[in-house]
Amino acid sequence: MMEKQVSTGKKSRLKKAIIYVICALMAALVPLFVHSVYYLHILILIFIYIIVTSSLRTIANSGQISLGHASFMGIGAYTSAVLAKQLGWTPWITMPLGGFATMAIAILVGYPFSRLRTIYFSMVSLFFGIGMIAVNTIFSKVTGGYFGLIGIWPLFGRSKVPYYYFFLGLTLLCLLILHRLENCRIGMSLRAIDQSHEVAASVGINEAGYRVLALAVGCFVAGLAGAGYAHYNLVLSQGSFDLLASINLLVYMMVGGVGSFAGPVIGAAVLIFIPELFRGLKQFTPYVFAGVLLLVIFVMPRGFVGLPAQIKSWINRRREAKEDRVAS
Amino acid sequence: MLLEINGLTKHFGGLTAVMGLDIGVAKGEMVGLIGPNGAGKTTIFNLITGFLRPTIGNIVFEGSDITQKKPHVVARLGIARTFQLNPLFADFTVLQNVIASFYLHPRSSLWATYFNLPSYRRNEADIMKQALEILKLVELHNVKDDLAKNLPHGYQKRLGIARALATRPKLLLLDEPLGGMNPDERAFAINVIKKTRQEGITILVVEHNMEMMDIVDRVTVVNFGQKIAEGVFEEVRENKQVAEAYFGVEHPE
Amino acid sequence: MEVAVETIVNVMMLSSIYILVALGFALVLSIMGVLNFAHGALYMISGYVCYQFATQFGINPWLALVLATVVMSIFGLFLEKFCFRPFFGDINRTIIMSIVIALVLETTVNITVGDKVRAIPDFASGMLKAGPVLVSYERLITLIVGGILLLFITLFISRTKAGQQMLAVAQDPEGAILQGIRIHRVAALAIVMGCAMAAVSGSLMGAIFQLRPFAGNHMLVKSIQVVILSGIGSIGGILAGGLIIGTLDAILPLFTSGAVSQAVGLGIIIVLLLFRPQGLFGREMS
Repeated sequence: MMEKQVSTGKKSRLKKAIIYVICALMAALVPLFVHSVYYLHILILIFIYIIVTSSLRTIANSGQISLGHASFMGIGAYTSAVLAKQLGWTPWITMPLGGFATMAIAILVGYPFSRLRTIYFSMVSLFFGIGMIAVNTIFSKVTGGYFGLIGIWPLFGRSKVPYYYFFLGLTLLCLLILHRLENCRIGMSLRAIDQSHEVAASVGINEAGYRVLALAVGCFVAGLAGAGYAHYNLVLSQGSFDLLASINLLVYMMVGGVGSFAGPVIGAAVLIFIPELFRGLKQFTPYVFAGVLLLVIFVMPRGFVGLPAQIKSWINRRREAKEDRVAS
Repeated sequence: MLLEINGLTKHFGGLTAVMGLDIGVAKGEMVGLIGPNGAGKTTIFNLITGFLRPTIGNIVFEGSDITQKKPHVVARLGIARTFQLNPLFADFTVLQNVIASFYLHPRSSLWATYFNLPSYRRNEADIMKQALEILKLVELHNVKDDLAKNLPHGYQKRLGIARALATRPKLLLLDEPLGGMNPDERAFAINVIKKTRQEGITILVVEHNMEMMDIVDRVTVVNFGQKIAEGVFEEVRENKQVAEAYFGVEHPE
Repeated sequence: MEVAVETIVNVMMLSSIYILVALGFALVLSIMGVLNFAHGALYMISGYVCYQFATQFGINPWLALVLATVVMSIFGLFLEKFCFRPFFGDINRTIIMSIVIALVLETTVNITVGDKVRAIPDFASGMLKAGPVLVSYERLITLIVGGILLLFITLFISRTKAGQQMLAVAQDPEGAILQGIRIHRVAALAIVMGCAMAAVSGSLMGAIFQLRPFAGNHMLVKSIQVVILSGIGSIGGILAGGLIIGTLDAILPLFTSGAVSQAVGLGIIIVLLLFRPQGLFGREMS
């Protein structure tokens, strides 16, 4: 179901590393030029969803396509917020705890779930996501339930700038965590499992174990991002982590393209940014979202990351057609 | 006895695929497992390697019972296999296929792998060396950067063998390794298998092709999941039951 | 006693609606291999279409229901030809396409008429009084109509040639192609039936409950629950699955809070999936 683009070689890795560093530097310079609170807010949201979408891709690359990933973000968010509120601990401690709590739950459900083949895993994850909302409502004394949680400890003061740099740093850290997983032998074994689980098992790879590992790391990162979101947004509502949110994540991932690590980054950025550009249209925003989706599925089957390859092959085909015409 | 199969029986609902099978393979031997199509040979392999659980019976490898063990555990204990339909890591290159299969020897810990510790880097360099050696052995080093899914069929089969060898097995189960090959490819594959034997690896091979019978020590014949004959190939060939089982198949020679 | 009868009627009514909607969803899933995320939206918009016919044009609600079904069936043909057929076989893109359809339908309704509370005029007014028991005709009628439609559909699938073709494609798409079955025709039929069933359900429910722009999401989740519970491959399974979910949804809230009953219901499903991923009645999918 997933197409992967394999790139090897030191040269292309160096090129990529340089591009990443340049992007990071450019991102770091943004607050010097952009002072609008609104746009900084959008960028912060983009950072957060880049992290969560990338973690979804990491999990998906092991053959587990989760339709409930937003709920893991929610677990991290609520855990951190509630710990800070009830126990009075600083968010700098509760945020990592939120990440670890999410990871623990992921491992707990991951072991039984890892036995399931793709589509069954997807269905179970969908219900896990909905179930988490129900659990949230059950414990509404602590979580605020349907009405949400307010009065969360903020990380910084009123200015968005420290938040911007915090989330930029968090994004770089989380992407680094996920990237390393993907590029070491662990990631190779995960991709092997995805391509042929029989062969993977016959060379000694513990399929279930690796799946849980991917789930654990992915959910740790998602929970961490969720926790950060909680102490930034200062308000949490169930609707941010429901089925719709999980589907959004999936769409970000598919639009960006699963073939490359940059896919979720681009997908999240594009699909959060463009509707915001059209924010003036208010209720018409879903139309814009739908429009972007239509554009992508009709024009870009592999998502945005597949675009360079598509353009290249389009140019080649034009060139060949031209040469044919000239020759005849 | 490296591998012992005792009373192996497998029921699939109403169908009995394997019945009361007793097979023994001694260390260093090469045993052929032959029988008509549908005789249950691949099922036997699946049972040995843990892809299926037997209904009755047990499997003992190097003295320990591996009957209920999962496939990856069986692999870790030293049994490798190829598959009849030869699945591969289709989107990996030839070289990556072999490298990915070098999961077990040498094996880096998760910690060392993730944090790129010197032990991991040493292991990976070693693996690269060994992988290239294996590719040279099966003569696929010229296409090492081609995607596995783009390879012609014969090459893919060779890759399957290379992949199995990467696990440094003690026992190698080959499931119709010559399937779909032309005579040149077959000769080459048999050569590779001979070289593998020289390394001391015990081999159990399922094969229809008679060229394989020249290099096995002995054969076990199964039909309808039951052993019907066993012994040196020339003797078994004369066996009446065996001839009946193969009725309709070309008489060897 | 009254509560019991009323509960039973509720259970049966809810079940029959769930079964109808889930069946439409399951048909598309098993025949086209597609998780049609727009199915809930189709259910939702059917209600609004029926409402339009019944109020704006002052037509008898029953006639409005029939008209709505026709309109939605035609819409289904349109969807199959222009939205799903181009991406046949590409699961990812088909799913995104269905999400797009759902988005467009829901947003359009939300913008235009969403803020006004509406309900379709009753199909049958009054209450049935049988002894001490008091049951609304509306719910009874919904139950009966739903049941009849289900019977009709079941007979259609099991007795007619077209229905057999649908089963063939659902069980073995490649084999069906080899047999010469025109997959696109069967797919179109599946979607049309799915839309029709959604239309009837949406219209009937629109009279009992209010029309809401995002009501489709709830139905979508229910359909997925039923399909997971019963598995794909047997209509009887969907019947049973719908009955079980309908019962749980109608009865559990009587004993405990909404959230707990939902959690319990979901927990049951998750546990079931772990031990029997193909559902209670489904075939194994490898």
